[in-house]
Amino acid sequence: MNSPPGADISSRLIFAMGGGGFTMEPTNPLLDDFVLGLSHAKEPRVVFLPTAAGDTTAQINAFQARFADRLCVPEHLSLFRLQETKRPLEEVVLGADIIYAGGGSMRNLLAIWRAHGLDRLLLEAWQAGTVLAGLSAGAMCWFQAGVSRSSGPPEPLAGLGLLEGSLTVHADGEPERLPVWLAAVRDGTLPGGWALDDGVGLLFRGRALERIVSSRPGAGAQRVDAIAGELVRERLQPELLGDAEQGALGGIDEAVEELRRVHRLRRGIAGGRG
Amino acid sequence: MEKDGSLLDEYVLSLLKASRPRVCFLPTASGDADHYVVRFYRRFSPSCEASHLSLFRRDQGTGGVEEDFATHLFSQDLIYVGGGNVVSMLGAWRAHGLDEILRKAWRKGVVLCGPSAGSLCWFAEALSAFHGAPRPVQGLGLLPYSNCVHYDAEPARRAEYHRFVGDGMRAGYAVEDGVALHFRSTRLAAAVSSRPDGCAYRVKPAGDSVIETPVNVTYLGADSIERPPTASTGAASQPQAGNAAADGEPQAIAAEANGPEPVAASVAA
Repeated sequence: MNSPPGADISSRLIFAMGGGGFTMEPTNPLLDDFVLGLSHAKEPRVVFLPTAAGDTTAQINAFQARFADRLCVPEHLSLFRLQETKRPLEEVVLGADIIYAGGGSMRNLLAIWRAHGLDRLLLEAWQAGTVLAGLSAGAMCWFQAGVSRSSGPPEPLAGLGLLEGSLTVHADGEPERLPVWLAAVRDGTLPGGWALDDGVGLLFRGRALERIVSSRPGAGAQRVDAIAGELVRERLQPELLGDAEQGALGGIDEAVEELRRVHRLRRGIAGGRG
Repeated sequence: MEKDGSLLDEYVLSLLKASRPRVCFLPTASGDADHYVVRFYRRFSPSCEASHLSLFRRDQGTGGVEEDFATHLFSQDLIYVGGGNVVSMLGAWRAHGLDEILRKAWRKGVVLCGPSAGSLCWFAEALSAFHGAPRPVQGLGLLPYSNCVHYDAEPARRAEYHRFVGDGMRAGYAVEDGVALHFRSTRLAAAVSSRPDGCAYRVKPAGDSVIETPVNVTYLGADSIERPPTASTGAASQPQAGNAAADGEPQAIAAEANGPEPVAASVAA
């Protein structure tokens, strides 16, 4: 892919989760806070794409519940209810600091994105420095391929190819994907790649894996490649996110705390987890 | 199934020969919205063998039809396509091969119908004004015309459709809310309305301009005694199940193909 002038490949970030975040971990905000920390914007504009689930209100409500009282501007983009979006798609996508893709059907996700030209816009946004994040279908979509259950039984499915290799998700939560993926990697149908448990995320800078983080103790990841027809599996140990985690931009200072308070007041939110 | 659309539902059911017809709902354009699916069953399951086909929940075993899509759809008397976003719907259909299956189902004699996006999809071209500036969309092309729905919903809609037809979009049909076009093969057999004042128009290019000709529309409520001719009363009598994506889009078209006739046919203007 061509780099647009001025865009530095090291500023391109993708965070791919095997499962987790607000839709799957309503009481555990560690991965979502990590996602917010990936943007340098003081108050990042976070655009949620619930496309893979058919824009369910459950996902949209969970997104708002998680992000409404955090230091960010949360917004969702529904491709089934576009009449709710007043601005052009280009403006919404290219104006985002973070794009967060939800889980669901990977086949539908890609088909609907392509029908609306969103695949091109997302590539452009990534090249311009927008953080791309997502879980499950919303994680596999960034790779060359994933293992999808969009039609019922798990099967390999090509992704957008922003990242090299393949990804399979819910390695612990939906174990039936893993053997399909391993067989496809072994016979060369899919390139080598990663298998992620629920709660584990891979952070890519450019196309290089930079960090492996987790919201749950015991959750793991593995890298698998086929070498001369044999599978070579490497177990990867994620960093457990938590109290010690300072976020990508370090600790929170007083000014940010103050801004957070103002932010909450402005939104008329009394409590909130902060 | 739309607001004050029960007359249109009755009309399309009257086209079916089976005493208890098999009717399958495709809610794709709404993202398989649960409340829309519930509304469908509430409306059709008393008198029909109702089923729905979801493209979003196939991994969870709650996708309605579990068997092979083609087998199921070919065995239906009526396929009812819900409203919503036509671009998203066509994208998802193509990814699952549903576009081909629906084409075959139509040729086999299954009646196809639907409001709004569920109308636009059967035509060769459609004017989608769902978001931002209106733009042309390529439909499945069973009907070799263009289609514009909600013709009375916005004052600018007429001018937009005329502009597109003048600029090379093929000739077609503009339809107001509450009005349905009934095609037999590719020929317009009837235009019916659930509203006394519902209109439809044939719009075609003529030299440098565009000609709009009214289509004869039959009001389906003419014989009903208890039905006051006001849209609001009619709407209030309909079951409402939340804010369906298709709410406020009571536009319907019935596309009927009788037997294995070829798709291409002469256009009766």
